[in-house]
Amino acid sequence: MTAVPDIEFRAVTKRYGAVTAVRGVDLAIPPSAFVALLGPSGCGKTTCLRMIGGFEQPSEGQVLIRGRDMAGTPPYRRPVNMVFQQYALFPHLDVEENISYGLRQARPRLSSHEIALRAGEALSMVQLAGYGRRKIHELSGGQQQRVALARALVNKPAVLLLDEPLAALDKKLRTDMQIELQNLQREIGITFVLVTHDQEEALSMSDFVCVMNGGRIVQLGQPSEIYDEPADLFVADFVGKTNLVSGKVARLSGDLVDVALADGTVISARKRVPLSRGEAVSVSLRPESLSLSAPGSGSLKGIVRNRIFLGSTAEYAIEVRGIGSLLAKADHVIGQGNLFKPGEPVAIGFAAGAPLAFPHANNNGTNQREDQNAEILS
Amino acid sequence: MPKSYRDGLPISSDKFVDQLMRLKRGSISRRDFLGLTGLGLATAVMARELGIMPTPAHAAENLGDRMSIATWPNYHDPQTFENFKAETGVAVEVNVFGSNEEMLAKLQAGGSGWSLFVPTNYTISTYKKLGIIEPLDMAKLPNFDGKSEDARFTAEGTIDGTIYAVPKNWGTTGFAVNTKKLAKPMTSWKEFWDTAMAEADGRTMVHDYQLTTIGNALKYYGYSFNSLKQDELAKAEELLLKVKPHLFAVSSDYQPGMRAGDAWMTMCWTNDGAQLHRDVPEIAYVLGKEGGEIWTDFYAIPKDAPNKPAGYALLNYLMNPKVAVKEHLANGAPCTDARVNALLPKEVLDNPILYPAADLLKPLEFGAAATLTDPGRAELMARFKSA
Amino acid sequence: MRRSFFRKNLVTALLLAPAALWLVVFLVLPFVAIAIFSVGERAPEGGYQAALTFAQYANLPARATAFWNTMVLAPIGALACLLVAYPVAYYLALRAPDRWRLILLAMIVIPFWTSLLMRTYAWMYILGGRGIPALLTYVGIEDLRLINTPGAVLLGIVYGYLPLMILPIYVSLERLDRRLLEASADLGATPLSTFLGVTLRLSLPGVMTGFSLVMILLLGEYLIPTLLGGGKVFFIGNALVDLFLQSRNWPFGSAIAITLVLVSVVVLIIANRISTRLSGARRVDLI
Repeated sequence: MTAVPDIEFRAVTKRYGAVTAVRGVDLAIPPSAFVALLGPSGCGKTTCLRMIGGFEQPSEGQVLIRGRDMAGTPPYRRPVNMVFQQYALFPHLDVEENISYGLRQARPRLSSHEIALRAGEALSMVQLAGYGRRKIHELSGGQQQRVALARALVNKPAVLLLDEPLAALDKKLRTDMQIELQNLQREIGITFVLVTHDQEEALSMSDFVCVMNGGRIVQLGQPSEIYDEPADLFVADFVGKTNLVSGKVARLSGDLVDVALADGTVISARKRVPLSRGEAVSVSLRPESLSLSAPGSGSLKGIVRNRIFLGSTAEYAIEVRGIGSLLAKADHVIGQGNLFKPGEPVAIGFAAGAPLAFPHANNNGTNQREDQNAEILS
Repeated sequence: MPKSYRDGLPISSDKFVDQLMRLKRGSISRRDFLGLTGLGLATAVMARELGIMPTPAHAAENLGDRMSIATWPNYHDPQTFENFKAETGVAVEVNVFGSNEEMLAKLQAGGSGWSLFVPTNYTISTYKKLGIIEPLDMAKLPNFDGKSEDARFTAEGTIDGTIYAVPKNWGTTGFAVNTKKLAKPMTSWKEFWDTAMAEADGRTMVHDYQLTTIGNALKYYGYSFNSLKQDELAKAEELLLKVKPHLFAVSSDYQPGMRAGDAWMTMCWTNDGAQLHRDVPEIAYVLGKEGGEIWTDFYAIPKDAPNKPAGYALLNYLMNPKVAVKEHLANGAPCTDARVNALLPKEVLDNPILYPAADLLKPLEFGAAATLTDPGRAELMARFKSA
Repeated sequence: MRRSFFRKNLVTALLLAPAALWLVVFLVLPFVAIAIFSVGERAPEGGYQAALTFAQYANLPARATAFWNTMVLAPIGALACLLVAYPVAYYLALRAPDRWRLILLAMIVIPFWTSLLMRTYAWMYILGGRGIPALLTYVGIEDLRLINTPGAVLLGIVYGYLPLMILPIYVSLERLDRRLLEASADLGATPLSTFLGVTLRLSLPGVMTGFSLVMILLLGEYLIPTLLGGGKVFFIGNALVDLFLQSRNWPFGSAIAITLVLVSVVVLIIANRISTRLSGARRVDLI
């Protein structure tokens, strides 16, 4: 992509006193992308978003919007708009006044006719036509969410920033809004930057996911990449469900390693970073990469402890001696195959190339402490 | 004393004492003191350790162990009450008031609890009319000697030949002038009012009290201080309205302004005049030669006094010249009793502010009850103040 | 069902009884007494004597100047107070460092624990000839008179009532959702239009509370004009003091007091209306 990125971070660091919330972040967000900044609370994602909006200034480095360095540019002069957590709608204004708030700030002034027209369009865009004269407190959470969206989009920003926009909604509404947001982004064609701690939300909506931890970007990629090829143990653990099993490197061969698990079983795993013989590793096993069969075949043996039948799939908690409990997920095809029952012994197999080995000694612990610090600040 | 004295107190006792000390130093006048604090209807207790000492057999009558008196701030030598207690075993509770009107209101409401109080001359007939004071039983006041009192003073406490009150202090109402700022000698109310509109423009104070402010305006034309005549009052009003824009203040708290040099001339009561002159020698006290007010404070006993024997005993005690002289040295106002004057130091008697020449005293008038309570004069004052 | 309903109401009534009693004894009874006085007559020696007449009300024009002065003083005083208080409250609520906020608030509130009389007397001395004017003589300004001027009265009022204005404004600004300010900036509003369009608008309930509180207290003010204004300007409060304590015309004083209460109620209602309308809030706290 040769186009100028909509948003660019160049070695951005943000410190609050002794605590560093964002450290040396480099990031370029291409035009018309839907990007999610994903991470646990306190990972620096909200700080990054607020630096784009202009509510925080980087301690070091530059934030550029469409190639322009934003240093010293206050929020009201930036070509971006934000959908705030809990929406931050103006309680003293009605729906229409909220939406046209930004238009009324435009200089040179817009005609009242144009303001009314655009506000009306924005209202219909979020399916709230006819709600213009309502007071904010008369709206449901979902409606408030739409007003917040309309209020931001009506200004035709270069980039729309969304700070945990769906966190306050119930699950059903959240799913609807996820689809709606995706559609909106495609329709309007501008860049959306979404901050979320919900990996499912990030994976389902965005074109790119930027996983952050401890103030750094840990991995940037398409959702499937992030899921299938996590850069480190943190990403593997944070994005999606996974089983982490400890072991030691028994043999190295190219991209693959043989890992000896605690019970002596040796399994073949892919490695993402260089490993050495004898090194302690954690092997990530996605639940859906485990295949269950009647005892006799497979690499591991276990006993079904719990079964959660979900319709199209079933999840099993399987007790493996010497290793612990593993989560497995199996598709359920109607009319075919019996489900395993609690107490039944099973054999567990792995899809080829699915297990991933990561160095066991990781900096997760320290990161978590920093997370907490950053969270206190944010 | 009613237990509620604390409840109704608009300022705390500490602050009250502060104010009282200020008052003792003479930087605030008594009428104002509590008109402003709102303490008028409240009381302060100065002698509260009650009757631990055995009561000596003082007279045939049982005096009890406590009584209360209503009086003015800074009016007594506190030692007097201590001595009285030592002698009789009766502890005296002292309630101070800011104005006669407040005293009257409290007494009229009933249950004041006072066995002795200190009304000013012009209120006595009102008290009598309302039937809330006793004719005094002179047999119980052997220390009082009518012959040593000036008849001019005793007359104000006597109604239809019956003695309702006996005099304590007297004084005059003149004006104080800062002679450094206003050098020309002044001797009359006419000069007072004319100067207020000329050299003392913006530097003159008049009382926030209709009796004296209207009375002294009447004096400009030579009318009676107590006039209730429509046409005379109309002239006085005309003068007052003309002077109003030139005034520094309409206030009875004139000592601070005079001492600070903000005000150069003010209507003034005797004792304030003496205090001002003592501390700021260039402040002179002048009695208008047209006349003006002479006043006397009296002792009287309320009809509903809870401890009349003690009231009489204290009054008799205060009439003892040896006791009274200490009282007068403490409060500074001239005394009505010749026996007391005989005991006063020469410099006090020679002070022309306290004891003016007889020819100046002659034209002075006692304020009349009718003057004080006249609604027409009250309205005139309101028009003057709101002009 | 019916019984438990009844019992519930009984409990409510019992719980409310002390408050109701307090209201009746300290608010309703005095008010009734004043109302009765106001249709009475002044006794010849002063005070009250029973009658049923509206003569006292008919006589109200005799204090028209006092009413007029008060009606001018109260809003001007409250406005002056507001102009000083708002920036202070704004700083405290939105700008002051957290660890300083409580200390600063305390510094504003603590002087309020001292009697207003004492503090006003202090100003009397500061503005009097031995105060600031005495200092000014050192720089060659002679005989300047500060005390007993309208400016001194205004100063006294602002000083005396400032905390009452600051606190409600502070509370409303403190409650202000900061993200609204960010949202406004995000939508392109300059700091000034954010202040006017969001901060000020949303702090209006506090402003109106402070304004009506100060204004109502000023309607009855008499101490400050007396001490710092030299008693030359006559307010309703002064008229009341004179009528009750000097000329002892209780019925007329009562009629004025009743009128004053009615005016205060009207002021409160208007203030409440305005602030409800402007802030768009569902409910407006009086204090």
